[in-house]
Amino acid sequence: MAYLVLARKWRPQNFTDLIGQEHVSQTLANAIRSGRIHHAFLFTGARGVGKTSAARILAKALNCDEGLSDQPCGICSSCTEITAGQGLDVIEVDGASNTGVDDVRELRENIRYLPNRSRYKIFIIDEVHMLSTNAFNALLKTLEEPPEHAKFIFATTEPHKIPVTILSRCQRFDFRKIPLARVASRMREISDAEQLTISDRSLSLVARQGEGSMRDALSTLDQVIAFSGEQVDDEAVQTLLGMVDRRLLLDTVEAVLQRDSRRALDAVRRVDQLGLALRRFTQDLLEMFRGMVICKVVEDPAEMLDLVGEELKELKALAEEASLDDLQRIVTLLMKTQTELVNSSFPLLTLEMSLVRLATLAPTQDLAKLISHIESLEKRLGSTPLPKPQHPAQRPTPNPTPTPTARPAPAPAPAPTTPNPSPDPPPKKPEAPVATSTESKGWQGLVDQVKQSRPMLGSVLEHGRLLKLELPVIEVGYTKGSFMSSQLQEPDISQDLEVLTTEYFGQPVKLRVLAVDIEQQSAAPPSLVEEREAKETDRMRRLREDAMEHPALKSVQDIFKGEIKKVIPIDKGFV
Amino acid sequence: MTFDQILGHKRQKEILNRALANGRLAHAYLFAGPDGIGKRLMAMALARAIVCEEQRGCGNCLACRKIDHQNHPDLHILEPDGKAIKIEQIRAFQRELNLKPLEAPRKICMIEQADTMTVGAANALLKTLEEPRGDTLLVLLSSQPNRLLETIRSRCQPLPFNRHPKSRIQAELEKQLGIASEESHVLAALSEGSFKKAFGKDRDLYLEQRRDLLKTLTGLSSGSILPTLDFADQLAADKTVLPDILEIFQAFYRDVLMTLQGRGDEELVNLDLKEKIHRVSAREDVSTILAKLEALVEVRHQLDRNVNRQLAMEVLLLKLAA
Ligand SMILES: [Zn+2]
Ligand SMILES: [Zn+2]
Repeated sequence: MAYLVLARKWRPQNFTDLIGQEHVSQTLANAIRSGRIHHAFLFTGARGVGKTSAARILAKALNCDEGLSDQPCGICSSCTEITAGQGLDVIEVDGASNTGVDDVRELRENIRYLPNRSRYKIFIIDEVHMLSTNAFNALLKTLEEPPEHAKFIFATTEPHKIPVTILSRCQRFDFRKIPLARVASRMREISDAEQLTISDRSLSLVARQGEGSMRDALSTLDQVIAFSGEQVDDEAVQTLLGMVDRRLLLDTVEAVLQRDSRRALDAVRRVDQLGLALRRFTQDLLEMFRGMVICKVVEDPAEMLDLVGEELKELKALAEEASLDDLQRIVTLLMKTQTELVNSSFPLLTLEMSLVRLATLAPTQDLAKLISHIESLEKRLGSTPLPKPQHPAQRPTPNPTPTPTARPAPAPAPAPTTPNPSPDPPPKKPEAPVATSTESKGWQGLVDQVKQSRPMLGSVLEHGRLLKLELPVIEVGYTKGSFMSSQLQEPDISQDLEVLTTEYFGQPVKLRVLAVDIEQQSAAPPSLVEEREAKETDRMRRLREDAMEHPALKSVQDIFKGEIKKVIPIDKGFV
Repeated sequence: MTFDQILGHKRQKEILNRALANGRLAHAYLFAGPDGIGKRLMAMALARAIVCEEQRGCGNCLACRKIDHQNHPDLHILEPDGKAIKIEQIRAFQRELNLKPLEAPRKICMIEQADTMTVGAANALLKTLEEPRGDTLLVLLSSQPNRLLETIRSRCQPLPFNRHPKSRIQAELEKQLGIASEESHVLAALSEGSFKKAFGKDRDLYLEQRRDLLKTLTGLSSGSILPTLDFADQLAADKTVLPDILEIFQAFYRDVLMTLQGRGDEELVNLDLKEKIHRVSAREDVSTILAKLEALVEVRHQLDRNVNRQLAMEVLLLKLAA
């Protein structure tokens, strides 16, 4: 019944089996060939990259009955005992379970005895970082004057927890995470030997689960075999791993980049319906955006991302569409979401909010563009208020003559991109009054009159956008579904209003209330209130908006949850 | 409980059954997934299948019944002692593992809330997880697998459990509690796919009081200072239900957000309050709603940090009424 998991069954037995740790095995093999062997080794590195295996291989090499060798025979009694983890002269200690000073004292007693029959007495201490301070001190004494016949091999995932005094007495080897391609090709060998049918694509998905650890990857392969037997099909692997379908991820990324919050929410819906872990989805999404950042800043991102072929191409193409600033903001926000999800009482909402926010982020502009934008704004503001576009008759006639400040362009070569002969906006009279207000029988006049008899009604009108004034028809626009538009449509009110308008214009007038979509609002002419506000604070507002949109400021807000209290304009000379 | 009696988790059952049938059961599993969705039931079913005299977890034989009563000598269950699983517990259990199984073909060890293991306990378990002595099956259960040491996770075969679909939970709620579909919908939508959560909700609060609470909340306006203060008073009064009330508020504004985003009514939590939701969304926009939802998240953090409840509620309501 006992089934040996693949990671145990295929534990490396020789230096050459240690995939991805060639720098370690070569140095060790050289030392053994030359006979100059340190008495204490420290193997560090992430989980499942081969530290314990390397320790056992080293032990075999030191104690093989066939003689000291960088290629231990593997069949002598010493070798087979070590492979089984029960060598007479190779003592494996679990540092985590024997943390006390007594344990180390016992160890030191043991060290004094000569090996039973092999060359060396070898102590392998796994998880050595778990030893207590006292235990380390006791160990240090041994390491300071080690007997000739003793060798120590320490292994740990957390070398920073080991006292410097111990570190300095060990020859240290840092084990690396194993590159995806190496894990995949080793798994191909193992799959073939195990007579599995599995596609390269699936194998690479499985390998990626290991995140650089062979043991993790093999444990996932065990899982796959347990589920699908020896014929592994791709779809099963994908579902089994609880993997978010790549298509779904790409869709979400696109939705965010295109500011399409509905589509982004569609993705959340699908994740929810599939019962996938929201944190996993967020993590995958985060990794995709991070990958795009790397695509932007690294010449050849393939190795760093462990990505090849189609996947890399897709990611690069997506990265093309976005600015680096945007991507970094998205990554920051997603990281925050990731931590919030851990303690969220309502994770679905947390994810939904996050995606709505991502998909409604205002695109950033780079700093240079921003500054030139502010400068041109200031230039315009320095002269006059902006023209009011909503009344065709009132539109100021463009001045065809170049402004005095404009550089005299060479006559035969007019600027090809602008139809306007002058690069500056047409000049206007500094004191130009708001166009509509001057007209005797205009919109402003009507509103003023209404205000006198019906202040509330007047203020409702002030908030409307004048879409059309061609007597006898007036069209006013309000935000779709807004309270004001519903007010105006009340029969009593609309009747009163009709009386007032007819009175004002001296002819029957049809006043129509239209709904304006939120998206169209920026295209629609401003209401009187907006005009007034714009006039008063145009410069401040624009400066403030630009400042608020600044990516650095956004990041500060995102990270510190800051609140903008005040925006103070600084002199142009400063920028 | 046999595999067949467990609701859902079809794939997980298949995986375990196939492993049992092929003799490919790993020595250590990590059952990972939210609380209250059936991980423990699955582990018990697996235990039965292993010890069963008929080798199928029949539920009738002596061995199966011993598992059900948790008095099988080869079943070891480790639970947090207080808030954590401590190193002494791991050591005691490792001594047990050194002994041969008494009745079953192998020893079975379940570690509940494995993520509560102390660092010492977790490290002490590493060697056992990698190469357990004899023929032992270890099953670690965790709703927060990311809190486990990587070295622990790496030594287990992961078996992720998914949330239950809303429809399954809703059907069970209706079947077992005899409540109407509008009500079961609210509970199921807030259950995160967990039976434990769905059945554990205070039904009086979530079904009855919810409507009144939301009515008061949406009736507040920035001008109505006194009613706002009164309501804050009312909310702050009971510390224990406050988190639930905040969840109700969150669900409501979330519904408004979804409506503003043009989502269909079927995605709402408060299906029975459609009209109110539409009315409120007419006077809000995405940024004002996000601000309100943020305020709710923020107030939860504040409550975790033990700030003055009354004050926190007042500030919150002023923001929500704005
Ligand atoms: Zn040998
Ligand atoms: Zn039975």
